[in-house]
Amino acid sequence: MLLEQLINGITLGSIYAIIALGFTLVFGVLGILNMAHGEIFMFGAFVGVVVTSNGGSIWLAFLASIIVTSILGLLLEVFALRTLRGKQGVSHLAPLISTIGVSILLENVSHHLFGAGNHPFRVAFAEIKFEIGSVTVYLVQILIFVISVVLMVVLSLWLSKTKAGRALRATAENLETASILGVNTKKIILLTVVMASALGGVAGILVGMSFNSVNPQMGLSMGLKGLAIIILGGMGNVKGAMAGGLILGLAETLVVVYGDSGYRDAIAFIIIIIILLLRPQGLFGQKTSEGR
Amino acid sequence: MLGELLNPYQLQIICFILINIILGLSIYVTLSSGQLSLGSAGFMGIGAYTSALLTINFDVPIFIGVIAGALAAGILGLIVGIPSLRLQGVYLAIATLGFGEVIRVFFVNWESVTKGAIGISGIPNIGRELFATFRDAGFDPDMIGLKNNQFVYLLVLIILLIINILLIWFFIRQNKSRVGRAFAAIKMDEKAAEAMGINITYYKVLSFTQGAVLAGFAGGLFAHVMSYISPADFAYNRAIDILIFAIFGGSEVIWGAVFGAVFMTILPEALRFISEYRYMIYGIILIILMAYRPQGIIDINVLNWFKKFKKQKGGAVHDSGDQKHN
Amino acid sequence: MILEIKNITKNFGGISALTDVSFSINKGEIFGLIGPNGAGKTTMFNMITNMFAPTSGEIIFDGEQITGIKPYQITDKGICRTFQNIRLFPQMNVLENIMVGGHSRTHSGVLKSVLRTKSQRNEETKLRGIARDLMELVGLSNYDEVIAENLSYGQQRRLEIARAMASNPKLLLLDEPAAGMNETETESLFDLIKKVQARGVTVLIIEHDMPLVMKLCDRITVLNFGKKLAEGTPEEIQNNQTVIEAYLGSEEDDDIA
Repeated sequence: MLLEQLINGITLGSIYAIIALGFTLVFGVLGILNMAHGEIFMFGAFVGVVVTSNGGSIWLAFLASIIVTSILGLLLEVFALRTLRGKQGVSHLAPLISTIGVSILLENVSHHLFGAGNHPFRVAFAEIKFEIGSVTVYLVQILIFVISVVLMVVLSLWLSKTKAGRALRATAENLETASILGVNTKKIILLTVVMASALGGVAGILVGMSFNSVNPQMGLSMGLKGLAIIILGGMGNVKGAMAGGLILGLAETLVVVYGDSGYRDAIAFIIIIIILLLRPQGLFGQKTSEGR
Repeated sequence: MLGELLNPYQLQIICFILINIILGLSIYVTLSSGQLSLGSAGFMGIGAYTSALLTINFDVPIFIGVIAGALAAGILGLIVGIPSLRLQGVYLAIATLGFGEVIRVFFVNWESVTKGAIGISGIPNIGRELFATFRDAGFDPDMIGLKNNQFVYLLVLIILLIINILLIWFFIRQNKSRVGRAFAAIKMDEKAAEAMGINITYYKVLSFTQGAVLAGFAGGLFAHVMSYISPADFAYNRAIDILIFAIFGGSEVIWGAVFGAVFMTILPEALRFISEYRYMIYGIILIILMAYRPQGIIDINVLNWFKKFKKQKGGAVHDSGDQKHN
Repeated sequence: MILEIKNITKNFGGISALTDVSFSINKGEIFGLIGPNGAGKTTMFNMITNMFAPTSGEIIFDGEQITGIKPYQITDKGICRTFQNIRLFPQMNVLENIMVGGHSRTHSGVLKSVLRTKSQRNEETKLRGIARDLMELVGLSNYDEVIAENLSYGQQRRLEIARAMASNPKLLLLDEPAAGMNETETESLFDLIKKVQARGVTVLIIEHDMPLVMKLCDRITVLNFGKKLAEGTPEEIQNNQTVIEAYLGSEEDDDIA
């Protein structure tokens, strides 16, 4: 049973890791926390609901979600974030507040489009399971884990080996220098936000697969958990996001099993507070002389 | 005739406005030292629950309950504020947001004390208690042509109004003093402020705690005006509402927070038909504001314009004793 | 001796910003700290005002060890500074900026301020008087309500000096006050610093404007690559071979900090 719980924890952790990757990419390149990321993720999940409840396959759901969330990311960058860049005297809090604005806008829109409450997420092969000794593992769980790992590996490789990936890293290090060196920073920034949002879309489908239902409140709670993870792992740190996601997933599962399940959501927030106080750069991050 | 003027529904709205002004002040005060706290909803909840529980379970008089609630929020503010000092801008905002959520989860789960998601009802009501006092003294609202409930709301309104005036006066005075200058200096350039001899730790914690006390105070008042509270009253939505008061109204001057609270309380009521889309509109407002007018509607230039306008109309001179005068 | 720098070494990671630097300043002097860019001068300032601690060594002010006390307490002790990059409070006006400088000489807390007690009102009036006097000293009389960020560059530099003076310092640290100034402005700066000295304040100044330094300073220490190269009167320094080489040499390299 512990083993099954561990598998649950890892499944959950993988999903959290994907969400955290979205946060970390945007923070790394733009230096801002995209508070709308959770809502974009939730939108992706709802797209999956719509597709699957109309008989579409899970792969169609993935595709549709990726498309929709990418568009949302594009809109976010073009209308909310780009207008703030290069303005004199804008406090560092303005982008944060702007993304908060986007997040409540999205939450309300989805409320009107999809309605409140739980929406079932039907997965054709949800019942398929394997018995390994005394442990039951669902195909869905394996799939989630595999997809997450593949995504993380592909992302890491892309960042380190491809030209675009290196350009992204350069922009993350120093916007001005990258620009001087010939990187089309505008395009890279757009690409980053779109990619991060697409990751959110993927995570949305994964969550639907894992929990079999989706509700509008998920946006905020997942958003905050994603924040907790990147703070835990170190903001802008890809490995940290992955490790942090797994840690949180496991921690939450164990709290539900051994503690009071009601407090599960509090774990993430308590982590945020503790890490920010004790080690603000996170487990894997580098100490910066001044927070962004 | 008085009875016709005082529509109980409108009186109630004004009471909400007055409570929201206090909440707006709470976020303004922390912003004035450069700190963005998204935890006001949590502190408000602490004030509300503390006061409600004290008055219901221990028969504590309302005004003591409210003050106790404010103090409880203040103490928690100290506890949260001191370690949070090293957190800059965004990190502090998130930590306080996380804190607010932790508080809410506790309210929901600590059922033995807080009754969980059901909430606490039957909280002693300021208006009704006062009314009872008047009644015992032989007074009947009929005497001034008012119905009972109009009178109750009127009493609450008057008390809230007095509280508001005192609080605004307090903070205007503080702003124009050495303390206010220290806050502003820290907000504009923390290192330079420190180099000029300002103890940043002390002043940042002071401003943060003042914000917490204000939010707790508003929470206590809220509990005894509504007579019913539940964890949902102090959730993320509330934090957003409060944030909008200051950010929309004007985050750099105290009248901004006041204006924001008034405007943003009336707006949903006046635009009932679009109240469903309220948060959508808030979202769009925030996005547009940050892009084109990040300081909010009321800023120092707007205030100066008002002052010039007043001067032209007969030269009223304020007794403010501050150096902005020649 | 009002300030003693004893064997100060400061390392940042692998880089040695200052190595075993010692010098002392006498009360009432105008003391110059010069050297090519990157020599460690501003690092020294930052350590005297305790923005960070030295790796080793001591700083003794007025007979008291000050390494390790908090930056705002340094101002209490009587040391105040200006900044190389001008760090005024941009949206405050001239009067308010200077009054902030006087923070450590005033004491009213929240209660007294809100209640406007007699002592608080007297304190504010006195502080305003000091501020106006300092405005006159630096040539900004009647600029009370001008917002700091609207001042000209030269005016901003002088405002910074007035603000630091409001803390009633025994030792004033000036970090490149003449940077960006033309000849007339530099002349006025010279007069201003002399007037500051006449008020009994000791001055430690970092500067690159050599004519100004030689005219102004009673004694000078030269730093190069974090080490002390020479110390003496302006004449001695001008005739010091190693100093001349250091400056000529550093003109050939690009100025890399």
